[in-house]
Amino acid sequence: MDVQPQQGHALATAPPQGIAGPASGSGTPHEITHGPAFAMLRVDLAPGQVVVAEAGAMVARHQGVGMEVKLNASRSAGFFGLVQAFVIAIIRRLVGGETFFVNHFSAPRGGSVWLAPAMSGQVFHRRLQGGAITLSTGAFLASSGDVDLALKFGGLRAIFAREGAFFLEARGHGDLWFTSYGGIEAIDVNGSYIVDNGHLVGFEGALTFDIHAAGGGAMGLFASGEGLVCEFKGQGRVYIQSRNQGSLLQWLRPLVGA
Amino acid sequence: MQINVLHRPAQALAQVWLQPGEAIVAESGALVGMTPNVQMQTQSGGVMSGLKRMFGGESFFRNTFTAQQGNGEVLLAHALPGDMAVLEMTPEGYFLQSSAFIASSPGVNIDTKLGGFRGFFSGAGVFVLKATTQSPGQLLVGGFGGLQELVCDGNLVIDTGHLVAWDATLQYQVGKSGAGWIASFLSGEGLVCHFQGRGRIWVQTRNPVEYGRAVGSQLPPRE
Repeated sequence: MDVQPQQGHALATAPPQGIAGPASGSGTPHEITHGPAFAMLRVDLAPGQVVVAEAGAMVARHQGVGMEVKLNASRSAGFFGLVQAFVIAIIRRLVGGETFFVNHFSAPRGGSVWLAPAMSGQVFHRRLQGGAITLSTGAFLASSGDVDLALKFGGLRAIFAREGAFFLEARGHGDLWFTSYGGIEAIDVNGSYIVDNGHLVGFEGALTFDIHAAGGGAMGLFASGEGLVCEFKGQGRVYIQSRNQGSLLQWLRPLVGA
Repeated sequence: MQINVLHRPAQALAQVWLQPGEAIVAESGALVGMTPNVQMQTQSGGVMSGLKRMFGGESFFRNTFTAQQGNGEVLLAHALPGDMAVLEMTPEGYFLQSSAFIASSPGVNIDTKLGGFRGFFSGAGVFVLKATTQSPGQLLVGGFGGLQELVCDGNLVIDTGHLVAWDATLQYQVGKSGAGWIASFLSGEGLVCHFQGRGRIWVQTRNPVEYGRAVGSQLPPRE
């Protein structure tokens, strides 16, 4: 049955990888449990293998699994690369999202490490084979193999909104695990598609995007309650989350001050 | 007594069926609903044990629910969104992270213990609870997020913020997670619990403090 969409998008028909159950043949053996509300990731490390995880994400590990805290820079980075990583880390610290540091877990004799994100949501697995995936800040959970992480600027207008100012680009060969607030839905885009910035987890493929108000000029920006949206054009896949941290904060704010 | 956990894992609700005369002891504030023939009695078990409980991160008072004349039903919930588990009491008993306790059979003795001096700096693991019993009984524990039972066979390292309960057969020691204190701090992992021996450990898939940090840093200061 051909369910090709009218507006150039479709909910991805292939079952999202890594939603549940043990991993299939390729990639690092891992399991994602307790999704979508409270997903936890277990990665089984072969001797000598390394998994890089967001600082603070560890739940448990076997005693034989070593942990080393590192500045978030690619392994090949020289001195300049380290300085750049440090500057980026400070910027990221300021805009929120991921932290300065990542933890490198390695197991000389093999072992498991369990990881969980801070927010209540899903963990999604994506095997990268030379391609790239762009993630919203805060969406990165872990990676293994030869995956490089680089910060991308979201555009001047995004600066004025708290969300979407920076993106993290993961590129290379290996496994990538990213996380969300709420469930994750993959949407195949062919043409154009609009996503609320607060619900954007990431995207991949030949997509260009433009950040703007949801519509209707200034009124649309301030009164619609939708804030900024991301308009994607081209062909690729967009990952959205079913909850939005901004809305949670809006709901909490009056309760805290009282 | 039979405990049935509904709405798992995110919004777990415990349905407790009591036979005539049977009772369950629950953490104060855990009650959701009960049949009219269930009588609630509040007790601190003495000022000292009440105070000790407060130090342990629990409430001063505990409530005992007893079914009078016929079967009764009590519904209990945890303060945080997450799963609950029913643990059958064992001769050795269990250790609990202090906020994990929801309810227990009346014969189960819940004692507050010092969890380890180092825990003082993190706010986690200062005190732990020890559940022991002479007779069979059940223990209802709750966590933030999903609950995962891990089997420790030798050694396991668990982040203290994710710890819910463990078999008292295990040796444990609270310590730093990395090689040095600075590395431990930078890694964001804070304190971990090093377990040794054989036994089961229940972990919660979310860390309440981490969650609070992720959300709370963006909230206005409290007045």
